[in-house]
Amino acid sequence: MTRFITAAFAAMLALAGCDAVPGRPRPDARELAPTEVMAFETLYARNCAGCHGQTGRLGAARALNDPVYLAVAPPERVRRVIATGVPGTAQPPFALSAGGPLTDSQIDVLVRGIKDRWQRPGAVTGHQIPPYDGGRAAGGDVGRGRAVFASACARCHGDDGRGGPRGGGVADSSYLALVSDQHLRTTVIAGRSDLGMPDWRGDGGTAPLTPQQVSDVVAWLVAQRRPVPGRLP
Amino acid sequence: MSARGLGPVRSTLGWLEERAGLGGAIAPALDHPVPRSTASWWYVFGSATLALFVLQVVTGICLALVYVPSAEGAYQSLLYLNFQAPFGWFLRAVHFWGSNAMVAVMTLHMIQVFLWGAHKYPRELTWIVGVFLFLCTLGMAFTGQILRWDQDAYWGLGIGASIASRAPGVGDALVSLLLGGPIIAGRTLSRFFAVHVFLVPGILIGMIGLHIWLVLRIGINEWPMPGRVVTRETYRQRYEEEVHKDGVSFFPYAARKDMVACGVVVLAVVLCAVLFGPFGPHGVPDPTLIDTAPKPDFYFLALYALFALLPPWTETVVILVGPVLAIGALFLVPFIAGTGEKSWKRRPVAVLGVLVIVLTVTTLAGLGVAVPWSPQMEAWTAAATPVRYVKGRTPLELQGALVLQNKQCRTCHSLGGGGGRRGPALDGIATRQTRDQLIRQVLQGGGNMPAYGKNLSPAEVNALVAFMGTLRP
Ligand code: HEC
Ligand code: HEC
Ligand code: HEC
Repeated sequence: MTRFITAAFAAMLALAGCDAVPGRPRPDARELAPTEVMAFETLYARNCAGCHGQTGRLGAARALNDPVYLAVAPPERVRRVIATGVPGTAQPPFALSAGGPLTDSQIDVLVRGIKDRWQRPGAVTGHQIPPYDGGRAAGGDVGRGRAVFASACARCHGDDGRGGPRGGGVADSSYLALVSDQHLRTTVIAGRSDLGMPDWRGDGGTAPLTPQQVSDVVAWLVAQRRPVPGRLP
Repeated sequence: MSARGLGPVRSTLGWLEERAGLGGAIAPALDHPVPRSTASWWYVFGSATLALFVLQVVTGICLALVYVPSAEGAYQSLLYLNFQAPFGWFLRAVHFWGSNAMVAVMTLHMIQVFLWGAHKYPRELTWIVGVFLFLCTLGMAFTGQILRWDQDAYWGLGIGASIASRAPGVGDALVSLLLGGPIIAGRTLSRFFAVHVFLVPGILIGMIGLHIWLVLRIGINEWPMPGRVVTRETYRQRYEEEVHKDGVSFFPYAARKDMVACGVVVLAVVLCAVLFGPFGPHGVPDPTLIDTAPKPDFYFLALYALFALLPPWTETVVILVGPVLAIGALFLVPFIAGTGEKSWKRRPVAVLGVLVIVLTVTTLAGLGVAVPWSPQMEAWTAAATPVRYVKGRTPLELQGALVLQNKQCRTCHSLGGGGGRRGPALDGIATRQTRDQLIRQVLQGGGNMPAYGKNLSPAEVNALVAFMGTLRP
């Protein structure tokens, strides 16, 4: 018995000297401080997957794993959204300077990672892409926009955007209160391919929307915003 | 080695013995007769605990040679031990697993002693010193965990401080005694280092000496026989008679099993160290990171779960009064039942008590491992809305899902298995609550849920309720 115990000790100590013992900590197993993480997968999974989906698709917020969207959106705008968030919407600011958890270089990793992984060069060839930037300068006309909606959108979203067989209501005042104008514009241009909404080129039945038509239909949607009455608890 | 080869060793020892006489002083202790019945495997836990203590002292001294007890240096020195110093990781691992084993084996020793009635007359003082040893060992475990000086340590300490601060009147004084100031800082670490390395080990060594002295003086508890009742008048005489009639010398007859047990526990510790390695350090301590879910080492898991389960209004009372009662009860055991039956076969209340305590503590610890109550601080950005709750939802409902993420409801509520468990899972909520009930729950809160009334715009409430209205199985 004593001899067995002694032998076992010796064996154990010899083992502890090896590199390959299971208990020996590996240098790469060191836990990183949250601001030291530089792997895109980890950064995305911890910070974005909740809203934009595990795989970058089929999340509640727009798909980022979408070549058409990435062809439309300029990287510096993507960066700005991540860093400073979109005020008044559910997109939070992530930059340390804006009270978020990520350093500038981590945000760079995210912007580059989204592009490297999910962009496909020839995603939209042969079409002129309507400009990403909407803003006041886009000069949409509400009246024309209503007509564009009726012809391009109503078959899914119902008359005047009250909800139809293949898409929910988009003129709903609560919905419109929670999204930015840019989000509406991005959606009209890039669609939501993961949920079955076509991009500005339509799904074959109609001609692609012109940049003017895009601005018009967004102007009409924005004009549907109404104050949402509160309720007393 | 032949007998002749040992000659020089013998003569050196003989030279020493002639002058110091230490062997002569120890010999009676080794040879003293003990009842034959005590040479049992059940009686080895005490020696095993002592062996683990020695192991802790040895590995602890080695670690202290490298460890830097300063806020900046501690974490780095642990990384140095883990990744650079030869056998550094192994030392850390042995010290960690040794501390776990020491708490565990010591608990076994206590339970055995209690069930075998060894706390009864005339061994009350041995028991009391033993309880001190137990408390000191837990103190070592707690202070040792702090020396890891990582996220867990930081928050363990924060929780300790908030417990101390609840003490009426002396709360602030206690906190500054514990932390060396009003907040956790470098001075806190120096303090814990001194306590862990000098103060408590010093006390432990003294107490262990006293404990062993008492055991030798009064004799090892004989194997209890049902029906043989302890009384102050007859016990000692009967013990003497038993030892006289059927005694064996402690060394080597009874000590053999002790030595084997010591070897086995130390071996088990070393095996765990080789297989599972050292623990932590987990992440640099950073007071600005609130989104960590710290978990204490296993011996405090039960306490942790208890606090998580308690309704908030009882916490202060339980935290302040509970430990005092529990420790007081341990000290009082030999005075409440100091004589009478010794055999556990005739002490149903004692056996039941042990069972209830062991079951409660293990259940609580099991719950503590699962920590369903600790909020999941990362869930709002990390736990995706399940795809089946995204498909076929209207734009407003999708916004509701986003509000649910953004307002961090998933810190406490899970969807599709992801998220916290403080509140009920929200899957299928539409079948449990009507639209109006949902609105009321969100605006007014209730139970342990905060009221969101002022923090949600009417549009957000509409979106949330629209989304939750679609959550059916
Ligand atoms: C709490 C939910 C939430 C989280 C977490 C979140 N987003 Fe968003 N994101 C949104 C919402 C909502 C929008 C649309 C905002 C608006 O209305 O303009 C958005 C928009 C965006 C856009 C702009 C889309 C456009 O219109 O061009 C980008 C890019 C984006 N998010 C990237 C990220 C990245 C990268 C992360 C992780 C670092 C992230 N988001 C985390 C909710 C979230
Ligand atoms: C083929 C059917 C179809 C057509 C045509 C269509 N949509 Fe959609 N749209 C959808 C679907 C599906 C969704 C996903 C949400 C849902 O199911 O309601 C959606 C979502 C949206 C959203 C919300 C996106 C979000 O994430 O917040 C907006 C805004 C929108 N559509 C506007 C439009 C506009 C404007 C047009 C016309 C230019 C249009 N849609 C044309 C099917 C369509
Ligand atoms: C701090 C943790 C916490 C947060 C954050 C929280 N809840 Fe709760 N929630 C609870 C608890 C605990 C209950 C159970 C209340 C009770 O027992 O009455 C609950 C109950 C509910 C219920 C009723 C569930 C049922 O099965 O009856 C709903 C609905 C709900 N919460 C929605 C939300 C929403 C929406 C949010 C975010 C705006 C949210 N909760 C945020 C803890 C939380």
